[in-house]
Amino acid sequence: MAAARCWRLVLRGPGLSLHTAAGAAVTAPEVTGPDVAAAPVARYPPLVASLTADSKAARQRRVERWQATVHAAKSVDEKLRILTKMQFMKYVVYPQTFALNADRWYQSFTKTVFLSGLPPPPPPAKPDTEPAPALDVAALRAAACDCLLQEHFFLRRKKRVPLYLEREAIASPFLDQLVASLTGLLSARNPALAAAALDCKRPVHFYWLRGEEIIPRGHRKGRVDALRYQINDKPHNQIRISKQLPEFVPLDYSVPVEVPVMNCKPDKLPLFKRQYENTIFIGTKTADPHCYGHTQFHLLPDKLKRERLLKQNCANQIEVVFRANAIASLFAWTGAQAMYQATIYAMKWMEKRSNKNPRVRSKSSENEMPDVEYCHVRNKVNSSKKNTGNQFCPSPALQSLHERTSLGHDVDERYTYGLESANDGILLKNLPLQA
Amino acid sequence: MALASGSARLALARPRRLGLGSCGAPRRGAYEWGVRSTRKPEPPPPDRVYEIPGLEPITYAGKMHFMPGLARPVFPPWDPGWTPPKFRRLPPLHEHPLYKDQACYVFHQRCRLLEGVKQALWLTKTKLIEGLPEKVLSLADDPRNHIENQDECVLNVIFHARLWHSTEDIPKRETYCPVIVDSLIQLCKSQILKHPSLARRICAQNNMLSTTWNRGSTLIQVHGSSGAQLNAKDPLPPIASREEVEATKNHVLETFYPISPTVGLQECNVYDVNDDTGFREGYPYPYPHTLYLLESANLRPHRFQPDQLRAKMILFAFGNALAQARLLYGNDTKVLEQPVVVQSVGTDGRVFQFLVLQLNTTDLASDEGVKNLVWLDSDQLLYAHFWCLPVVRRKAVVKQKIYSGKPKCVCEMRNRNCLLECPRIFEVRQCPPNPSSPTLHRRLTYPGKEGRLLKQHKPKSCPAPGTKILPNQLPGIL
Repeated sequence: MAAARCWRLVLRGPGLSLHTAAGAAVTAPEVTGPDVAAAPVARYPPLVASLTADSKAARQRRVERWQATVHAAKSVDEKLRILTKMQFMKYVVYPQTFALNADRWYQSFTKTVFLSGLPPPPPPAKPDTEPAPALDVAALRAAACDCLLQEHFFLRRKKRVPLYLEREAIASPFLDQLVASLTGLLSARNPALAAAALDCKRPVHFYWLRGEEIIPRGHRKGRVDALRYQINDKPHNQIRISKQLPEFVPLDYSVPVEVPVMNCKPDKLPLFKRQYENTIFIGTKTADPHCYGHTQFHLLPDKLKRERLLKQNCANQIEVVFRANAIASLFAWTGAQAMYQATIYAMKWMEKRSNKNPRVRSKSSENEMPDVEYCHVRNKVNSSKKNTGNQFCPSPALQSLHERTSLGHDVDERYTYGLESANDGILLKNLPLQA
Repeated sequence: MALASGSARLALARPRRLGLGSCGAPRRGAYEWGVRSTRKPEPPPPDRVYEIPGLEPITYAGKMHFMPGLARPVFPPWDPGWTPPKFRRLPPLHEHPLYKDQACYVFHQRCRLLEGVKQALWLTKTKLIEGLPEKVLSLADDPRNHIENQDECVLNVIFHARLWHSTEDIPKRETYCPVIVDSLIQLCKSQILKHPSLARRICAQNNMLSTTWNRGSTLIQVHGSSGAQLNAKDPLPPIASREEVEATKNHVLETFYPISPTVGLQECNVYDVNDDTGFREGYPYPYPHTLYLLESANLRPHRFQPDQLRAKMILFAFGNALAQARLLYGNDTKVLEQPVVVQSVGTDGRVFQFLVLQLNTTDLASDEGVKNLVWLDSDQLLYAHFWCLPVVRRKAVVKQKIYSGKPKCVCEMRNRNCLLECPRIFEVRQCPPNPSSPTLHRRLTYPGKEGRLLKQHKPKSCPAPGTKILPNQLPGIL
């Protein structure tokens, strides 16, 4: 009886498709003539690779079935859950890192191209709209000085802050206050800033796959496995708006500069693998209408400050630290935003190749010298080298998207202020909030 | 050995060291840790030559090494010259430079007054008026002060704070309380285009306020930081007119005999009488505008009760106003020509208390005369309840009638917050009281991308906090 029951159960699966195909064949002759010519009736079930065989075709079919479940999922959260529920060992990428030449490594991980100088300015406003009010540099300078002096001089605290707590107790509230004041003052030129959401130390997470490796040891030795990365960032402040920033360059812009290719495994960076929860988070959940990013503000830890690097004879790494921070943080933020959007408009977006790509800016600052601005333009969603498409994207129409790269821009680093003479030019350059 | 069992390895000291003190309790450090084999050996007894009086022993101290036949030198005890911070003891209170014989009753940010608002009113010689002042409320009638999509924005703020801003399923109060206050302030600041005076303000945290005054024969001090404080370049205009201020002379302060008015305050003899606003001279934003007191502890016993929170708001607002008045008009006790107005908002993330305090006089010693005025708007709910996860009963999500009778709170609450932000600006838009009107229903189902509805939580079937009931999958049928 048991054997008979099993036999019956086994036959049910393929049996169903047989029955449905036969049913279609039976009902086919009832269709009228032109329809029969237009849609040839399948007389036999479709020939597809096995699902359970130990073959590449079977694996491909399983992967496509998984992608179909992502596509068929009703809500964004479900799609993200399906994409991130399987946990494997992955590299944990830290945006603020002391590793040498980390910016080149991070460019290769994130397929980002670095261009010096600011991106081209946006096209001039239409003639019928009102011109934006002139930038009141004096007011901005006064606001910045007020924030600075309040924290460093005027505010009387309970106890004198010890040296190791200075950053947390003085620089951190200063940056909070500066961001709030500047956002308010610049909202005259950009009304989107008035309605923006300001986040303070909210986490940003992103999980992606890029590249492959041969597994060196273990029961899966010799097999090809994707390289997984996770960024868990906590920017000091970030501004989120409800409308996307206009693009700097078109989506299909081919960059003359190459993405750096590293010939070693990421472990050499040093980068370590860990297995834990895969999260994708922009600072709020998917239901928030303010789901597009505008600007991030970072405060570098004392470990990476300029004087310390100079003492260690790493003067050329000062710039590297800023760049690596910007690349990793902005890639994570824009990637997460893209996931929030892409999972909503998956097929439509990919197939139409619309211009809905996230663009954000970020500012990194050390304790006393906020000086570097980066604009990150994200022109892609998947960053895998495989021609068959990234595992994140459910649509097979994405094969050309892997050719796209991201762009990062930078400006020179300077001291933004000295109390004797505030450098207005640098304050202006370092204001990404204008547009 | 019974004595040597366990990881503590306590060893009894020698009988002569374990001499009980005069009170009968063991001396401090009476136990000696470590087994006898690991303890330092005792120093050898002094040579017999030291017992002979008048004899000068010849020691090997000058030779810098042991010499048999010479006496062992006895050195004076070594004074290192400093004590590590670990072993430093504070000097006794009497020797502290700020010690005074008269006790001072200090109110700090964790003081809970037993009689709440009544006690705070007595301590600050203030008359209470329920509800915010007409001047503040009437300024909100101006239709120019509308925020676009006000209700939707506030709902977004509530959802963001209670649900969206964290990766956790149910964010804790310690995170959502500051987020909700910051978001509401940001919403108020979004009107900066219409009202440029909003740019003449700055927020400060952790400033140490200190003010002292005499109330009868008792000395009372407010000391400590109250959390976030908004300072402005321009002072707030007085709310009550001269006549109303004069009319407070007839008001009698409510006493609560036999409870002492200083109950709940910390009595101390070491204090500094000098006033301190928390900011140095020359601060470009010298006038305190609004204090924000957050009760964001996760556990309810750690949070203040609403009455205690209101008392704390009154006292800190009063302290700020008094320090400001003494800075502007000197330390003399008198009735102020230009009253000083300070506002305060207190919340635990859901229930809001609003306060406007007008300091009319610094003559606080006597119970007669002009009193200060405080307008208090208590226990305003921003929202009735918030459930982060849907409750599933019998594999179906239980739906809910939404917000019956509560929508008023949303608009009014948010408006009141804005009113206190900038009293000249915002208005209270009264929502229609009919809870079943379709527009209301549509507006208050969450207008986000998913149109998520708040589900009703039936207490009997609630799962453990932080868990959720997942719908059971139907058994697969092959």
